[in-house]
Amino acid sequence: MSKKKHIVHSPMSRREMLGLCKNGFGSLAFMSMFGGISSACSKIENIPGVVDVNTGQLPHLVPKAKNVIFLYMDGGVSQVDSFDPKPRLDKENGQDPRKKFKVDNTQFDNVGKILKSPWKFKQYGECGMPVSELFPHIASCVDDLALIRSMVSNFPEHTNANYFLHTGSGIQGRPSMGAWATYGLGSENNNLPGYVVLDGGLIPPGGMDNFTSGFLSASYQASILKSGPVPLANIQPQEQIDGLQQQKLAFIKQMDNRLIGKLGNVDAVESAISNYELAYKMQSSIPELTEFKEETAATKKLYGMDSDDENTRGYAAQCILARRLVERGVRFIELTCPKVKADRWDQHNGLKDGHERNAHAVDQPIAGLIKDLKSRGLLEETLIIWTGEFGRTPFAQGNDGRDHNPSAFSMWMAGAGVKGGVIHGKTDDYGYRVIENETTIHDLHATMLHLLGVDHERLTYHFGGRDIRLTDVHGHVIRDILT
Amino acid sequence: MLKNRASSIKSIIRNYFRVQLIGAVAIFILAIIAFTQCSDRHPSVNTPEHVDFNFDVRPILVRNCYLCHGPDPSSRKADLRLDTYEGATALREHGITAIMPGKLKKSELVRRINHHDPEMVMPPPETNMKLSEYEIAILEKWIDQGAEWTPHWSFITPEKDNSIDENKYTIDHFIDEKIEQAGIKAASEEVPLKLLRRVSFILTGLPPSPEMVKKVSEGNDTYTYEQMVDHYLNSNAFGERWARHWMDVVRYSETKGHEFDYTIMNAWEYRDYLIRMFNDDIPYNEFISEHLAGDLVSNPRINEKTGSNESRLGTMFYTFSEGKHSPVDTKKEEADRIDNMIDVTTKAFQGLTVSCARCHDHKFDPIPTADYYALYGVLQSTRFSPVPSDNTVTKWKKVEKIDTIKSSIRNMLSKEWDSNVVEDHASTHLINNSKLNKDINNKHYEMLGDFRGQNLDGWKSDGIAFGHRTTLGNPMFTQAGKKLSGLSSGKASSKTYGTGIFGSIRSPNFTIDKDFLGVMASGRSSSIRIIMDNFQLIQNPIYGELEKKVNNEKMHPVVFNLSAWKGHTAYVEILPGTYKSHVYRLEKDAFIEAEYVVTFDEEWPSDVENLSDIATNSNDLISRWSKAQSSKADIDLLNQLLLNGKFRNSNVSISEQLIEMKKLAESLIDSTFYSGVYEGYGLDSHVFNRGNTDDLSEKAVNRGFLSIIEENQKSIENDGSGRLELVNTIVNSGNPLTARVMVNRIWHHLFGRGIVETVDNFGLQGKLPSHPQLLDHLAIKFMEDGWSIKKMIKYVMMTDAFRRSTEGSIDVDKVDSDNVLLAHFPVRRLEAEAIHDALLAAAGNLNDSMYGPPVPLYLTSFMQGRGRPRASGPLDGNGRRSIYHEVRRNFLEPMMLTFDRPIPFTTFGNRNVTNVPAQSLILMNNEFVIQQAKVMAEKVISLKFSEQKSAINYIYVHALSREPTEDEMNFAQEYLRLVAHSYELEESKISDNVDVWKDYCHSVFNLKEFIYLI
Repeated sequence: MSKKKHIVHSPMSRREMLGLCKNGFGSLAFMSMFGGISSACSKIENIPGVVDVNTGQLPHLVPKAKNVIFLYMDGGVSQVDSFDPKPRLDKENGQDPRKKFKVDNTQFDNVGKILKSPWKFKQYGECGMPVSELFPHIASCVDDLALIRSMVSNFPEHTNANYFLHTGSGIQGRPSMGAWATYGLGSENNNLPGYVVLDGGLIPPGGMDNFTSGFLSASYQASILKSGPVPLANIQPQEQIDGLQQQKLAFIKQMDNRLIGKLGNVDAVESAISNYELAYKMQSSIPELTEFKEETAATKKLYGMDSDDENTRGYAAQCILARRLVERGVRFIELTCPKVKADRWDQHNGLKDGHERNAHAVDQPIAGLIKDLKSRGLLEETLIIWTGEFGRTPFAQGNDGRDHNPSAFSMWMAGAGVKGGVIHGKTDDYGYRVIENETTIHDLHATMLHLLGVDHERLTYHFGGRDIRLTDVHGHVIRDILT
Repeated sequence: MLKNRASSIKSIIRNYFRVQLIGAVAIFILAIIAFTQCSDRHPSVNTPEHVDFNFDVRPILVRNCYLCHGPDPSSRKADLRLDTYEGATALREHGITAIMPGKLKKSELVRRINHHDPEMVMPPPETNMKLSEYEIAILEKWIDQGAEWTPHWSFITPEKDNSIDENKYTIDHFIDEKIEQAGIKAASEEVPLKLLRRVSFILTGLPPSPEMVKKVSEGNDTYTYEQMVDHYLNSNAFGERWARHWMDVVRYSETKGHEFDYTIMNAWEYRDYLIRMFNDDIPYNEFISEHLAGDLVSNPRINEKTGSNESRLGTMFYTFSEGKHSPVDTKKEEADRIDNMIDVTTKAFQGLTVSCARCHDHKFDPIPTADYYALYGVLQSTRFSPVPSDNTVTKWKKVEKIDTIKSSIRNMLSKEWDSNVVEDHASTHLINNSKLNKDINNKHYEMLGDFRGQNLDGWKSDGIAFGHRTTLGNPMFTQAGKKLSGLSSGKASSKTYGTGIFGSIRSPNFTIDKDFLGVMASGRSSSIRIIMDNFQLIQNPIYGELEKKVNNEKMHPVVFNLSAWKGHTAYVEILPGTYKSHVYRLEKDAFIEAEYVVTFDEEWPSDVENLSDIATNSNDLISRWSKAQSSKADIDLLNQLLLNGKFRNSNVSISEQLIEMKKLAESLIDSTFYSGVYEGYGLDSHVFNRGNTDDLSEKAVNRGFLSIIEENQKSIENDGSGRLELVNTIVNSGNPLTARVMVNRIWHHLFGRGIVETVDNFGLQGKLPSHPQLLDHLAIKFMEDGWSIKKMIKYVMMTDAFRRSTEGSIDVDKVDSDNVLLAHFPVRRLEAEAIHDALLAAAGNLNDSMYGPPVPLYLTSFMQGRGRPRASGPLDGNGRRSIYHEVRRNFLEPMMLTFDRPIPFTTFGNRNVTNVPAQSLILMNNEFVIQQAKVMAEKVISLKFSEQKSAINYIYVHALSREPTEDEMNFAQEYLRLVAHSYELEESKISDNVDVWKDYCHSVFNLKEFIYLI
């Protein structure tokens, strides 16, 4: 039992409550509305139902990480072709897997022969971590990576597995981990949302509900930033003439203030008025963010902005943007994958071509991101997580593909509070099942929250008769990989 | 009846203060009395004179004790339960009792909650929970006062208090009593125009029309508030508004989400059904029975306009779950789907969170897992199917007519036949037939359905197509209908009346235990499906094998390889028509016929014969035939006789009848369908231990409902699902929850907050009612008034409480900052739909046509992903109200989401009301908002007002339902000049400049007054 529960019977008016917070009225309203202030204060908002915020004093622990960059490898990277080499596959290539081990039902039910990896592995760094030819750039960063080879998921289907990875539950509608993080900790930037998804071109199966705030306040919903002239919906003023929008807003404010004068104290209306100021600021801070004027050529090159591959260039821009968001104090940033000339990492056939295209798009930008953050001293306060929603089978689907495998996959973390150059967990000789230190998605979430200074068992929200957590009733911090 | 909660000493003191009845000395004396009445042990806290278990004590126990000492044995510590009186007062080891009524010192609980040793104190320190001094004082006082124990308040049936004079004791009495007790003053009545806006928006989700604004602002005395309420209550827009409230409750969606966001067929028919439902004020008890068992009710409602079955549309609410197209484990997927249905059904109608009991007994409420699986059985015995939209009484009457013609033809023919001929040939026939009687003990197949006899072998025939018997013995005629050409062999046939008619035959449930299943079938554009674990979204890569198209008019074996799914529960579904992307279509010429269905290993059994039905009795052969009671052997014999020309005359001309039947059959053709349900076969469920579908309890649980609602619960004996029994338990006037939950929902929509704030949770973790007596009064009245939703709404709206001004005061704010006591009307932000629709209405762009298929979704570049529709719908939704916009699960409208329309995955009776900059950004920059501003500007210009003031007045009336004050008029004119200046426009040119007026209208849309009910 370690759940902290106290229902807040607030005899205090919201106004008095506001008075207690240092920021004063206006700014508090802004921040709380945009995930800018932690849930500890959000209970005073108009969130109906029993809003028993059981979070206690946040952060619960000394935080190691301020921000998270979540590099989502949509579709499921093959572990045996990337970070978990299996020589036995070379030996038994072409043999019937059912004669070797029990084969679970798969998504496509088209079990072929054991399939060796088309890529060679080499050891890198001081730690000697083996990485395949798919990721030559990331390989150069292995001494910063904590690799977990023993990940498992509960779902072999994309949509459920995506919801599970993002929200800790396989069904639609639960709050995403980014929403939980901002609900717990808020954002450190008042002019930007606390939870941002950088849309690289592919929205994962399950759609926007992977990034939802669910039953938490809409304040914690992800803002989707796209590349292009209008990066965020409704961010571009429609007024064609300079100064006209300001004129309009001034008029609106004047009229609204008259209304408030007549109404007396109506907090909700006051907050709505104040939101216009933040909205206005966002209009200018977003374009500033997405124009890379002050980025040097060397930096751009580091990320691969000069690549021949347009997908590499695109993903490089997203990675630079992620760093810029970190610099501005945005709490949780997720990058979705670029749309390459093959499917997402979901190679049911054409493994070699598909994985190579996907890897080429992300490899250099990710390595660039790690190196750049490190050189700016930001890596020590930023947690990077790289993972798909599940792994792939060591045997072929058809001749040259691999099917979904929730029983084993590899992920890695780097940065704040994470040991570099370590490998956690182990799979069997085929890379098909985990045999040591099984690590669940809940464990991943628990560890992520832990590094952010949050006890995953104490970050709860009361909904539908239960105190709901990101980790449900599960999850253990993966202590072995922490510094 | 709930006890009126004893008012606390504190509030008594306050009351006395307010009315100044007694002087300072008296107060002093009273204070002394108060303190001596409190437990001596806690002199510094004020506890109520009489501690109420439900209101004072139980919440403390629930919060602090039940996780370890509650109903769920799996997490129970020290084998102690504090959720029952027996458990709490039981004699334990070492003679200890947790609670000994009236005996503080002998109650171990008292010792432990006061303990100083961290090893001993309860709750344990590691839980981070600590009882406050007040809570300790309450618990002690309660035990001291005898530890009275009553069931949770919401489980006690509300009873009518006959001592109350109903004419006098109205809602306002209940409300005002508390306001008085709190020592505050209620606000005065709101001014008429603001009331008009309030009533209009709350009842219809739209601003009042300019005509209404005019009428009310002119202060016409003959137009009363009551007339105003009636006007909006009886407008069509009322249903459009209140249907949407209910759509939140049933997670309404038109697609299934998951990876490809497949369509839920004609989900919008349910939306239209709701709108009609609310507008026609269908009693809520009927509403419930239609939702749960609309396909089974004995006297279904008929839509007066179309003649189709209205009640049945309610069952669509089951089908709004998410749907997964290729689950690796269908049993697990079924469990998730049913869990969602249980969750929604119990929250919607009972305000209980039953799905918490899926893996273990409910942690707080008295809901054991057995109850969950009792309900699970009901739902797994329900089958999902397309249902023809055009399911009319007329059609069924035509079916009857055809049946009558058919039997008259038989009569006619049989009279012509000479029964003497028959006997001569009977013996031969018997000999021939006996040859077939072999292999009876050597079957290597199992017969799942044999349609070569007279009946459908225990299969269910749903819809019209198959009728209730096979084709056996049906007379067949030469084309012109002049001559009888023979009698039909036995087949289940969807052509019984004609082609293109919907219907299906479905087998009883069976466990897959052989490698193959075969159907001897023929047909055109038709399907045979194996529905395993009620899984409907059959497709490749995994499940393609479970559905076969039949497109061969000669009888042929259709074989399914089921070897991968042994052990699963399944049924066979044979139906004309096909599925494409999980949408069912039925071509005009589609039909399917089947002779038998077998399961087998290895080879198709070549010797499948109708063993049960070989001999014939020549007596009454013809009479049997005329009554359609022949056996297969009868028909074989009759056909032989016909062939040999033994019958005297088979030349009766029935061409006229045939023509008539053909005409009738053509009008039976079905073309549109919605996702609904049909009754299955009763199938009890095992408990899935810890929610694991592979770990079943030894015994299955009888189907049934919650034991807390129905003590001495009768298990469902019905051989169907038992949904009708479910209805009876829920709409029973003894059910303590049904009426309370609904009147509370109504109250919530009228005041913005329920009497029970947690509208979907009346369990132990829900909030306590702010006005318990009032809630019960309303619940009883609701039932007495025939469960009429409109009457209840009007009853509440006619109160002073509803008519109060929104103006609060500092005094009120101090005592009741959340306005629970309703001393004034709350300021409310309009809902997403109301904002959207108000923009259209203000702009004069509102298209008030009702019903029909949804307006396609407007797609922005930010709405990406699998299942994205190919083309975008119109930006302004053709001016239709937002309720008519498409609801695609994976592509929910951003504006709706931003203004808090919930994601449709579970019941949301109570929306969030957030306040985020993204909302400001929408009103500032969204293209729809700008577009409507422009439309309004063009309208204003087209009206060619002689004065600018009139134009401004027009905009105020249309957008804010009032005229501007003089000040506001001046501001507006000044602002128009400023804007014109920005455009470098001369003042005289303002009147017909779209840009300037657009900017002005846009500014008005951004006023808080536009999106708030103030």
